Amino acid sequence: MATKVPVTIVCAGGGGVGKTTSSAALAVALARTGKKTLIVTVDPARRLAHAMGVEVTEEIQPAHVEPAVEGKLFALMPEPRRSTPTFAKVLYEGRPDDLARVMKNPVYLTMADAAAGMHEIVSLILVAKAIDEGDYDYLVIDTAPSRNALDFVSYPGRLAVLFEGRAVGWLGNLASNVAQDDRGPGLFASMEKRVEAMFGRILNPRVLKDLAQLFADLALIKDRFARFARMSERMLLGERTRYLLVSAPTGSAQADVSFLAKRLARLNHEPTALLLNRSDEREPEWIAALRAEAPGWPPLAEAMTQVEHEFQVRKRAGDRLSAALGKELVRVPQVRLPTLESPDPAQIVRELATKLEPHLATLVRPIG
Amino acid sequence: MASAPPDKLSPRGALPPLGPVVLVTGKGGVGKTTLAAGIAEAAAAREGRAVLIEFGDGESGKRMLGARSKVAHRVVDPRDAMERAVANILGSTILARLFIGNFAVRPMLRAAPAMRELAMLEVVRIYAEEHPGARVVVDMPATGHGLAWLRLPVQMRDMFASGPIHDLAQRLIDRLVSPSRCSVVVVTLPERLVLSETIELCRALEVEVGLPPARLVVNRFPRDLPAEAWDAARAITARGGESAPAAQQLLRMLDARREAQREALEILGSAVKTSLHTRPLILREQMEDPSATDVAAWLTEEGAA
Repeated sequence: MATKVPVTIVCAGGGGVGKTTSSAALAVALARTGKKTLIVTVDPARRLAHAMGVEVTEEIQPAHVEPAVEGKLFALMPEPRRSTPTFAKVLYEGRPDDLARVMKNPVYLTMADAAAGMHEIVSLILVAKAIDEGDYDYLVIDTAPSRNALDFVSYPGRLAVLFEGRAVGWLGNLASNVAQDDRGPGLFASMEKRVEAMFGRILNPRVLKDLAQLFADLALIKDRFARFARMSERMLLGERTRYLLVSAPTGSAQADVSFLAKRLARLNHEPTALLLNRSDEREPEWIAALRAEAPGWPPLAEAMTQVEHEFQVRKRAGDRLSAALGKELVRVPQVRLPTLESPDPAQIVRELATKLEPHLATLVRPIG
Repeated sequence: MASAPPDKLSPRGALPPLGPVVLVTGKGGVGKTTLAAGIAEAAAAREGRAVLIEFGDGESGKRMLGARSKVAHRVVDPRDAMERAVANILGSTILARLFIGNFAVRPMLRAAPAMRELAMLEVVRIYAEEHPGARVVVDMPATGHGLAWLRLPVQMRDMFASGPIHDLAQRLIDRLVSPSRCSVVVVTLPERLVLSETIELCRALEVEVGLPPARLVVNRFPRDLPAEAWDAARAITARGGESAPAAQQLLRMLDARREAQREALEILGSAVKTSLHTRPLILREQMEDPSATDVAAWLTEEGAA
């Protein structure tokens, strides 16, 4: 079992802000300092995964981005569409018969498939397993691109409540009555408690039977699940956890960050820093250099006028975003990153990593 | 704001009409909310009324629509939806509260979100039926979750062979998630990953849910830079000297954009040939975010509203 508790950096933000790319860049920058780093992408971008030399699977793999981070950077990019079987596979490790039964239970398949937070829970369990088995200095978690991204912090606890409280026993009893005595809808007529009767009216015997089996099967792996849940909770809410909010001047990104900051406050945490993507601060030098050439090349002059205009618009939007968030989150330091365009995603990751290097101390500093 | 679609996908034929309920989905951050608000605005401008339904806190829709919009904005809250759906089954709000608040039921419902989501769909159906004749636009959750959500009525109907949840699911299949009642609009971006996810989503919508998308909108399509700028940048690079590295930067940017456009057209082109039933609508990148009214005007111009 691992002795080291890694410093965990949770990156959260709305969709379309470049969160996955900047999380990867942060992991590269940390690995460049010689520290063993694991990047976990909850909603993996296949193209980025390939660019980093890893596959989208439930296995941890060494990443290949550049020679400087070989052997230091690892990636875990689980496939979202496989979370229903993965969840069962991890929890029923070494119990093939139980696993086969759960994977045939229609209640499990329907519920797990439709559960909004399922993939996050699976990813967390995989991470908990990973840090249990390997000594990492840094763990970078790229959450799903959603306002609800931080809800996953409370999922393990929520499920643990279901296991630890009286609820499972009560539901198990209620359901096992049905399992033994399947006489159809009239079954609950004799039940005294109103809620039990209502249960009978809302569910039906067949479903209750499958539900009972599922509870019985879940009870088998209760301790294993609880251990992973406690580890995840420590990992996400412990004193070695940092929260990085990622935004960009687009759509609802700013509102998403305010929302997430409030959500963090309710968890008694505060953002370590704000990462503002596509928020250019100064004109790149190459624009000025090419402008000097423009008089000799009319099409170039036309292109440069457009490029420059785009840059001005982006800078204004970046300034507005930075000012608005600065007013709202007064104490939170901001790191502004420029827009990088390249057909090669690995190149963007490496260049962003270089831009992040001078800010690493800010990004991983302890809070409070 | 609108510009001619690129050559390969250019037949500007008529698009299939939209159903009374329009479900807007796509990957996170592609501009679903903006488009949903745009469709609602266009309908309100044409017919005088429309409803925009949003899940969550309702901030995004409110911001997109603006204060003077004629669109009725409804926010579906999961807890209220659950109470409403259970009250419908039990015939009493008080009983529903008692049931949902029960010490064992509460944690189970929190841990088993499928029920909550079924209840939210039921509330969408109720809103739609409360506004007969009005276009009802739903800002759905992102791809995976949105798809799981739309599959839910059939799954639940089959899982509950009988009883009130079975009936509720059947009602949703008949009156909400059916091709005669609703249309699905998919929003995407010209990025390889987003596009391949989109194509998979479109196929799954058709095959698993029986709702082939009625519209596919490609948002933030890069605007063209003059083609001759390439030649200039290449010549300056070849000449060497002080400006060469700068010209290389411009080349990289031009290549990145052309690659994004090419990839988008190639992926969409192959999808159009196979399972996609609709001409993709290309919304060119505007440097400032467009408002719902801008999007409504563009949709009308494209004959897509």
